[in-house]
Amino acid sequence: MILEVKKLQKVYGDKTVVNIEDLQIAAGETVGLVGNNGAGKTTFFRMLLDLIRPTTGEVLSKGENVMQNDNWKNYTASFLDEGFLIDYLTPEEYFIFIGSLHNLSVADVSAYLSQYGEFFNGEILNSGKYIRDFSKGNQVKVGIAAALMQKPEILILDEPFANLDPTTQIRLKKLLKEQAGNMTTFISSHDLNHVTDVCSRIVLVEKGKVIKDFKTDENTLKELESYFSA
Amino acid sequence: MLSTFLSHQRKSFWRSRNRGSSIAGQIVLGFFMLYFFVLAIGAGLSMAHLLNYFFPGQDVIKSFNGIILYYFAFDFIMRLQFQELPTLSIIPYLHLRISRSKIIKFLNVKALFSAFNIWPFFIFLPFCFIKIAPAFGAITTLMYIVSIFSIMVFNNYLVLYIKRKSITNTLYTFIGMLVIAAFAALEYYKVISIMAGSDFVFRAIVAQPVYAFAFTLAAIAIFYINSGFLRKNLYVEELSKKQEKKGSTDYAFLNRFGKVGELAALELKLILRHKRPRSAVIMGFFFLFYGFAFYKQEPISRDAFGQMMFGAIFMTGISIIIYGQFMFAWQSAHFDGILANKIDFKDFIKAKFLLFTIGCTIITLLASFYGFKSPKLLLLHLAAYLYNIGFGTVVVLYLATLNYKRLDITKAASFNYQGTGATQWLLMFPYALTPILMYVPFGILNKPYWGLAVVGIFGLIMLLLRGFWVNYIAKRLEKQRYKIAEGFRE
Repeated sequence: MILEVKKLQKVYGDKTVVNIEDLQIAAGETVGLVGNNGAGKTTFFRMLLDLIRPTTGEVLSKGENVMQNDNWKNYTASFLDEGFLIDYLTPEEYFIFIGSLHNLSVADVSAYLSQYGEFFNGEILNSGKYIRDFSKGNQVKVGIAAALMQKPEILILDEPFANLDPTTQIRLKKLLKEQAGNMTTFISSHDLNHVTDVCSRIVLVEKGKVIKDFKTDENTLKELESYFSA
Repeated sequence: MLSTFLSHQRKSFWRSRNRGSSIAGQIVLGFFMLYFFVLAIGAGLSMAHLLNYFFPGQDVIKSFNGIILYYFAFDFIMRLQFQELPTLSIIPYLHLRISRSKIIKFLNVKALFSAFNIWPFFIFLPFCFIKIAPAFGAITTLMYIVSIFSIMVFNNYLVLYIKRKSITNTLYTFIGMLVIAAFAALEYYKVISIMAGSDFVFRAIVAQPVYAFAFTLAAIAIFYINSGFLRKNLYVEELSKKQEKKGSTDYAFLNRFGKVGELAALELKLILRHKRPRSAVIMGFFFLFYGFAFYKQEPISRDAFGQMMFGAIFMTGISIIIYGQFMFAWQSAHFDGILANKIDFKDFIKAKFLLFTIGCTIITLLASFYGFKSPKLLLLHLAAYLYNIGFGTVVVLYLATLNYKRLDITKAASFNYQGTGATQWLLMFPYALTPILMYVPFGILNKPYWGLAVVGIFGLIMLLLRGFWVNYIAKRLEKQRYKIAEGFRE
């Protein structure tokens, strides 16, 4: 198991926001986290990334508690929100900075970015703007591209499809599907079509608890729809 | 409708996250406001004395007439720099069923809510009542007030018009200041006299009060020009400032420091690309003149370094103090990103030390012109410099791990107390008192140079212990990271 969550709880005041007894994710799985607003998805992701201290329980990445050391950062890339972007940099500066953290040279970064011309639709690179001046969708693109550039073993994305245009949504799905098997992907989404399409496994959460956890098949979408319309 | 708009504005002011949320910040802000208010009233009431003092042997009314246009020229330049365009506030209304003329009216009224439109009343009105009224009677006094009020309104809308047309930047403000200074110099050498011109204008009003309405007409004209421009260009992107093309930068001199250099470069860009940290740094250069107030001939000749220590610490360490008081909070917008990425806390802290050291070194080198005043001051500066980079940096970074307040750095610096808490105000005590306390025993024993040596050596030892401090602060940051990240997310 590459990611293990054990008895993880986060309590604010008298409200339990996240309460996950046990969740195991095997290497190479593509897992979709689905749930309504307030289900605790973002809080859960933040605990996976050691941004919030869990009230109890632990997150193990390759068997090591993420709170204890930073080894997980070597193989984990993530994009949750704009708080992950350094918005006063140009996209190029940001990519080079992120690359440097993984010992990629400027040339490596440019080589990597050259294959993203299509994904960026010519709007990101050499645009003469800081990241903060981009539209939300383009900011998300920068964040996702920077995450993928790190060639991570674990990729964590919060609502990656929101704010993206249809073309980019389809391209992102293709990108994620290509990686299936050699990268463990954990994404959350409100778009049931997209998650069932991309993910091999769906985890459904409600009020912080895992309600359902199953492999996707042709009936999954219907099942989810009936759950959410109930 | 207008009253609804204004009530929204009032709410946005009182409910703003930007407002210093802590009581301490508010009290200090209120205190400053009161201070300026009292200062302006005081200046207004004692105008006659002040004018006599500055222009001795000249009729006070002549002097008063003379300074009015100067004041407004200065007012104009200041507004150009500081008055804000009330543009963004209309965005939520543009798509609603509200007519353009109402929105424009709102913009025009909102523009009047500016401190620049209060000062003239305090500064000029008392004199009008005290001196002008007895000398020329009620009508003339009234016309003085009308003209002062009109020029104020004229300036108000002219500046907005200029700013809306995006034909202004800081450089112009600077040039404007130089022009005024040039006129003042010409005045001094009696080449051209604006004062005489200003006096001539107001003499004309005394002789023929109706002339005052010329100012009123000008004010009305610019008001309509401005409104007309708004009516034709009521698009937010056209009303706010134009964007220029941004390029990528690489600071080659930082590359030799590896990952630490990368992080330092990142922070340097943060400073240069945001208004608030940038003005904090510029402030630092202004404080270079602080020494003229602190370094008097008398204590210098007595070697009374204890008295001058505070000034020296403050001046050479200003970049550390001003920038350091909001340490980590500068990065609050992307602090999550820093934590989630592969950034070593030690590198992160080392980068801060590096930047502080560079900043402090530059300021100290610039401050060495005080050496002309007395070479002793250079020794004082050296001790202060070593203390600042050796120990001051540690104090600042230690306190930074206790700071959980988010900071929106895109907002301007003046009168912005967001992110200010008790820690910031307490910062100065340990920072400035430590070296003074170290020096005092030697000062009493009349061994001033020993005192300086002790402060300097203390700084040097701390500098040599930097590795230890880096580890220590990195550990603390590691411990505090959830709390800091949580505070910064709000």
